[in-house]
Amino acid sequence: MRRRLFVGFLVAALAAALLAPTASGAQESGDVTLTIGLNQDLDSPNVTAGFLVSSFELWNLQYATLTDKAADDFAVIPGLAESWETSDDGLTVTYQLRDGLTWSDGEPLTAEDVAYTINRSRDEEWLNHSAVTVNLTATAVDDLTVEIVSSVPDPKLPVMDVYIVPKHIYEPLSADDVVTYDALDGVGSGPYTLENWSPGESWTMVANPNYWGWSDDGPVIDRVVFRVFSNGDAMAAAVEQGEIDAAHNLPASSFARLADNPDVVTVAGSQGGFSELGMNAGAGGIGDGNPALLDKNVRRAIAHSIDIDTLFDRIILGLGRKGTTMSVSPDPSWQPEIPADIVIDFNPAKAMEMLDAAGYVDSDGDGVRETPDGEPFELRYAQRSESVNEPDLTQFITGWLADVGIATTVEVYDDSQLTDVIAFGNFDLFTWGWVPFVDPDSQLSYFTCDEVTYDPDDYYGYNDANWCSSTYDELYQRQKVELDPDKRREIVHEMLLHFYDEASYLVLYEEADLQAYRTDRFTGWAQQPADIGPVIFSNSSPSYVNLQLADGSGSGSDSGNGLVIGVIVAAVGAAGALSFVGLRRRGSADERE
Amino acid sequence: MNRRFVVGKIIGAVVTLAFVLVFNFFLFRVVEDNPVDSLYRGRNLSASQIASLEERFGVNDPIIVQFGKYVRQTAQLDLGVSIKSSRPVSEEIRDALWPTVWLVGTATLASMLIGTWMGIAAGWRRGTTLDTASTGLSMFTYSVPDFWLGMLLLTLLSVKLDLFPTGGFQDAGSTASGLSALLDQAHHMFLPALTLTLAYVGEYAIVMRASVLDTVNEDYLKVARAKGLRDVAIRRHHAVPNALLPLVSLAALNFGFILSGAIAVESVFSWPGLGQETFNAIRGPDFPMLQGLFLFFSGGVIVANLIADLLYGYLDPRVRTS
Repeated sequence: MRRRLFVGFLVAALAAALLAPTASGAQESGDVTLTIGLNQDLDSPNVTAGFLVSSFELWNLQYATLTDKAADDFAVIPGLAESWETSDDGLTVTYQLRDGLTWSDGEPLTAEDVAYTINRSRDEEWLNHSAVTVNLTATAVDDLTVEIVSSVPDPKLPVMDVYIVPKHIYEPLSADDVVTYDALDGVGSGPYTLENWSPGESWTMVANPNYWGWSDDGPVIDRVVFRVFSNGDAMAAAVEQGEIDAAHNLPASSFARLADNPDVVTVAGSQGGFSELGMNAGAGGIGDGNPALLDKNVRRAIAHSIDIDTLFDRIILGLGRKGTTMSVSPDPSWQPEIPADIVIDFNPAKAMEMLDAAGYVDSDGDGVRETPDGEPFELRYAQRSESVNEPDLTQFITGWLADVGIATTVEVYDDSQLTDVIAFGNFDLFTWGWVPFVDPDSQLSYFTCDEVTYDPDDYYGYNDANWCSSTYDELYQRQKVELDPDKRREIVHEMLLHFYDEASYLVLYEEADLQAYRTDRFTGWAQQPADIGPVIFSNSSPSYVNLQLADGSGSGSDSGNGLVIGVIVAAVGAAGALSFVGLRRRGSADERE
Repeated sequence: MNRRFVVGKIIGAVVTLAFVLVFNFFLFRVVEDNPVDSLYRGRNLSASQIASLEERFGVNDPIIVQFGKYVRQTAQLDLGVSIKSSRPVSEEIRDALWPTVWLVGTATLASMLIGTWMGIAAGWRRGTTLDTASTGLSMFTYSVPDFWLGMLLLTLLSVKLDLFPTGGFQDAGSTASGLSALLDQAHHMFLPALTLTLAYVGEYAIVMRASVLDTVNEDYLKVARAKGLRDVAIRRHHAVPNALLPLVSLAALNFGFILSGAIAVESVFSWPGLGQETFNAIRGPDFPMLQGLFLFFSGGVIVANLIADLLYGYLDPRVRTS
């Protein structure tokens, strides 16, 4: 009898368990929660240690910067600083902070915090700060005034987009401790600050009551939850179900399906990231690259044999942009139009003509050209093991090369191996990609002669085209000190056309960040840059403070499924219990042995 | 059980663990990977920043120095610091352990009970419709890839019927605690646990069925029948206890694997367990994390095996005397 009572209790507990989730899932009453899906957890909330895109979204929300970037075109707009003045020589900028700034924990935020962040990050070469602060010295003139002096002319100024950290939290940490600090303090100056992180699952940010940018009504969204999915299709399903409000980095297959949903808007957001076919132009003078690629005409012939349109349609399924010259910024205005007379079009006949003229002729009729030395013309093609698109890309490109009489052998490497292979110059062709910063300087700098690897034991340069040009270098130095934005843009255009013409780095396509958001709960999603950019995980993440509640939106999306599940599980449980009881009864009736 | 048998088994386990400790270290360094290259590509780091990162991760020391550090640390039960998250590896493992044990443990228990029951029923009534159906089902679930089964269940029960969440361990950002948090987790666990249970159940059913078939023709069963015992009693008291032996080793082994989680199923359902941790660590490569995880997994399997050996010795006198 007691056993039966126990079984009854079990069934009741099971039923209750499955009925309960509807109640337990609800947030505290009245709170508006925005839920974002993504496929990458934070690596570290510590701004001196983390490096993943997910962590940048956290910092974009938690740490305000001196100057901010406009959603539409990255134009410089006030941030913590409400105004600034640049000296005549362009080397000194004096920023005036907003009055009454406070950190989310109530401590005052002053010029001292700003100067502290800039100077310390420069001295200790903080990972996400030092590229900007390397040549800067900051002084707190008074609580509201900070003076920043650059030791070299810097066209990026007055833009000052480094995350300002709270001095009262970071000062007690030594240089060694700061990089291993867990940074769960949640003290910030941006609209939302970290409340809680469950590694591998989600992290939650709450509205910062002291944020200087709220309208008089305060924040619309009280809480932003970032939910980590390891399955992209499940993430797309979660958007459809309304479990999440927006998703970042969706798989292309689900993206197409989501586009048909009337409550969902899909965005193929461009951040300027691109994939390229790199050719070993041999500038470092080391390694065993095929000498044929030293000839610009051979490189151009290879470029003529690659069908950019097909790659756009078949590899990135038309989501993103076709490759032209290198993209050096998410702001497309840095990219020049390619004049018709220098466009290297898809033209296999011309490619073959050029190869013939360069002395690469198929003399034995086996379909593969011979080099001027009489050897078969064969290039090594390095394929990355860490990208899903690579195998298809390899097939297309090696197929097109075979069509014009160039044989290839494919070698597969992981990223770290390929880095070595490239640094040592032991490659002919490879495909890889970049995502540029807003200011084009970094991306441009990678292809200067200084970045060529001449001795891998000494320095691994970034120049993975292994290409070097005095024209390009000279233009690079000019743009670096040109303080007039329009003139600088012209110089950059000239550099990029030269780079394109040299054809050692063939941009194949610009991949998009596939995102989707629901329209039934929030409005005001902002693309950065306008029309072509992503709505979340963009450069300065302007969407979050921009969102408003949609008309008639409820804050919850739970349906009454708990009941259905409860009934099902109760039925299963009851069936199990009955058979159990039945078995026992039969057992007790058994005769003794 | 004599002492020599027990001590021998324990020494064996310790030696295996020591071997794993050494092997572990070199396994992950066969491929000459530098995590600084792969993790920080495209970050425009200065040469001195790269050097200081390499120093912090200790990847530039000669391999033998790295090995010495690793052995010393591990002996002090310090698994090091993850390269990716800068958090102690032991903390990372601790956080991911509970979801995995909860999920895989439940699925292993459920599949063992159901599978054993199916195997006994099928083996005892060999050739009947029940046997054909049970064996067919077992073969099917045993051979189906678990991630595919997971995707099917996810599509049907979560996307189409909206009965269960699309993944995760609990409602994201949930502040619930106590019983309601537990119930929320149970709701999230239902689909992955169902998938794993279905995936494991066939193995138990097939092994158990074969084992029951082996005992059916044994002399002691004939004796039991000759004594006039009822079929049910013969099965329960004479056939099944003897047939359960092979299951002990299978169950022990599988319990060892509970710790290593179920990489594919955890990924399908975004379950924040050790399987997912492993997957992320491989992508780094996050050496300290990989070493810590594999040591932990190996330890789990070795301990489970040791228990199985000892249990076997206890259950079957022939093992400890031979």
